[in-house]
Amino acid sequence: MMEREETNIANTYRISKRTILFGVVPIIVIGAMIILLLNSPGILFQNSVKPLPKISIEKVEFSDGGIVAFIRNTGPSNTTIAQADVNDRIHPAAIEPSRILTRLADAKVIIPFVWNIGEPYKIGITTDDGTRFEKTVDSAAPAPRPTVGQVSTFAIIGTYVGVIPVMMGLIWYPFIRRLSPNKYNFFLSLTAGLLVFLGIDALLESNEIAVNTLAPAFNAQILIIMVAIVSLITLLYVSQRLIQRASKRSKPEIEYKSGYSSHSEPDSELSDIRSSSTSSQQQLLIKPIAISMMIAIGIGLHNFGEGLAIGAAVLLGEVALSSFLILGFTLHNTTEGLAIVAPMAKSRRIPVTKLMIMGLIAGGPTIIGAWIGGFLYSPIATVIFLSIGAGAIFQVVYSIAAWMYHTNGSRGLLNNHWIIMGFAFGMLIMYLTGLLV
Amino acid sequence: MSYPRIVVLFGIAISIIFFAISTMLYSRSSLSDQNSSKLDTVGGHTPGYPILKTTGDILDPTSSVINPKNAVVDPMKYLREFNYGRVSTSSNGTVIRDFTLIASDQQTKEVSPGVFYNVWTFNGTIPGPTIRATEGDLIRITLINQGTKFHSIHFHGIHPSEMDGVFEGIAPGGRFTYQFTAEPFGVFLYHCHMQPLEEHITHGLYGVYIVDPKQGRPQADEMVMLMNGYDTDFDTENNFYTVNGIPFYYMHHPIQIEKNRLIRIYLVNMLEFDPLNNFHLHANLFNFYKTGTKLIPDEYTDIVTMNQAERGILEFSYKYPGMYMFHAHKTEFAEKGWTGLFFVKDNTSESVNQNLNVTSTMNNTSYSKSNFSNATNIVPTGGLK
Repeated sequence: MMEREETNIANTYRISKRTILFGVVPIIVIGAMIILLLNSPGILFQNSVKPLPKISIEKVEFSDGGIVAFIRNTGPSNTTIAQADVNDRIHPAAIEPSRILTRLADAKVIIPFVWNIGEPYKIGITTDDGTRFEKTVDSAAPAPRPTVGQVSTFAIIGTYVGVIPVMMGLIWYPFIRRLSPNKYNFFLSLTAGLLVFLGIDALLESNEIAVNTLAPAFNAQILIIMVAIVSLITLLYVSQRLIQRASKRSKPEIEYKSGYSSHSEPDSELSDIRSSSTSSQQQLLIKPIAISMMIAIGIGLHNFGEGLAIGAAVLLGEVALSSFLILGFTLHNTTEGLAIVAPMAKSRRIPVTKLMIMGLIAGGPTIIGAWIGGFLYSPIATVIFLSIGAGAIFQVVYSIAAWMYHTNGSRGLLNNHWIIMGFAFGMLIMYLTGLLV
Repeated sequence: MSYPRIVVLFGIAISIIFFAISTMLYSRSSLSDQNSSKLDTVGGHTPGYPILKTTGDILDPTSSVINPKNAVVDPMKYLREFNYGRVSTSSNGTVIRDFTLIASDQQTKEVSPGVFYNVWTFNGTIPGPTIRATEGDLIRITLINQGTKFHSIHFHGIHPSEMDGVFEGIAPGGRFTYQFTAEPFGVFLYHCHMQPLEEHITHGLYGVYIVDPKQGRPQADEMVMLMNGYDTDFDTENNFYTVNGIPFYYMHHPIQIEKNRLIRIYLVNMLEFDPLNNFHLHANLFNFYKTGTKLIPDEYTDIVTMNQAERGILEFSYKYPGMYMFHAHKTEFAEKGWTGLFFVKDNTSESVNQNLNVTSTMNNTSYSKSNFSNATNIVPTGGLK
């Protein structure tokens, strides 16, 4: 009896040939169905109406003596392009590589046209069933070409908008070091407020691109949420692993308040970590410098998205880059530097070079983003980067909140009016400086 | 069996499916490779415009010809084709003209290069055939409805109520003979009058009906021009405008006429949705006979503007040989297809070629000689037959 039971238990986890059959059969059936459906649509759905075509005009470029529209077939079936027009007036055009577009295939429609700088244009594409699709460009501007001049222009814009403001924010480091705990909490929660604003801003921004530029076939809105969540949980996992590894090698840097160890631990995730370690206190939290690095990376991703948006705006003729706009971005981004220095202000002194590196990690991507956005704009890539950035920012907010929760001991987060004020004030600053952009 | 082997098996199964899908998608996409490996040019029609070379396809309705198999009409044939019916004489000496019109609403035809549209037609074309008679003739038109909806023919002109084609629709598969005396003389139109009226007209159920005066009109090179449009995306705005059914057709197939010869155009506006349409003649003026119901012109002008169903007769002759445009002076319509060319030939063929070369180089146009040889020769038609 005993033996048989043991073998039964063993059998439950062993996979026989029959089990494999059960696993493989559904896949084979699905494969057969796909082959059948794709090869004989006429037999199965004879009476069905031909599905409506859908063409997305993803990008319009104005070049010397012509307008180039980048189009994609985002409809359910193959489509043939019949004609092209400018401002609803038919013009001869060329389409490369072919007028026949398979599903999700793209093509370039080149319309020889003498256009005027600064004027709005509507570019239309008509498919073989006579449906017309249109894209409006608010203001025609020559497409940026990757010349030395244009590359350095974008680099200067990126430096103004990304690098300089972040570096300026870093100068607050010594000031924040000397603050009393309450005021320090105020600045930490201010940072959290700034970041929450940035995260929401990134989500809204990517949603706007998803709705306006991307075809519904991409399901871009759900993609935003998906990418943001995946990036959030991945970064949480990575940061936990980093702490675990770091704590095995180094001693704790932070002196906690005496009352802290008696304080009960409601967070199950954190208590898990505690139980698995030898010293309960050292491994509870991400170290401040790690938080700062995370913030720098998160803001870097955010600024990359911002750079993409700036470059794309120049390319798409949606914006004339004025010094006022750049000033707005500069003020807006100065607070990002503050966000980086606040968490590590109370730990041991950080060398200037390390600060500078963090500043570059946070600000530098603006330049790269502007290059990519200006020269090879892709709305789907912009949406994905902005969503990753949003996920990264919310991970940082979580780390700051957890940090403050534990350093505050029994007082908690929402009992401290400094924290509430700081959080609200952080978002308000971002809102007000955002008005300038 | 061990766990890794299962994974491998699943992997194989899944990759087979992906292979199946991708081969099928590829076999479909290989359609698009048929037209490659050639180099075409586009953009040379307009002076000052860059000429572009491309390895891809050309989208150029101003110079591309529709395959006659798919085309909704042959505009060059339609231009000078007048149908006088099967003629017989009654006991009291009245001329009887019998016509047959077949209504259909199931075909899809090419109405503009590359654009296919569900057309509703009389005798398979938009516009329907031009029906012509002399004042006082007895006209008998048999409508055979081969469509899937009720259709009718409503003629403009004078006739009894039961011949008006409004209250009695002809059922699918049915037939009916409209019978009335051609009166008065003038240029008229006919169209389906079933509800929804706009739908039946905009899909193409219309044509021109001409009644000649008993004494006839002066000998001339006669042609019929019907102005229409197509709303191919059903937004109650026309996507294409034409004269005689296909946008830009007479741009690549100019209408050949002779210098100093009297030209007579029976012009009808059947444009739906837009409240007006017009006809403008370049480098010339014409006598305009509104509705064609008088023998003295109403106006000497180079432009005439018409609302829907308005029509008239234009008479002119060209003093100088060469290429002349005619088009809607509502320029939107012109740029969406309602534009064409007269090619005025001198009587000697040598000077014709000379003129052709001059105009070609001056305008930087890409019209080849073959385009001109495609154009039908002038078939002089008298006012009466």
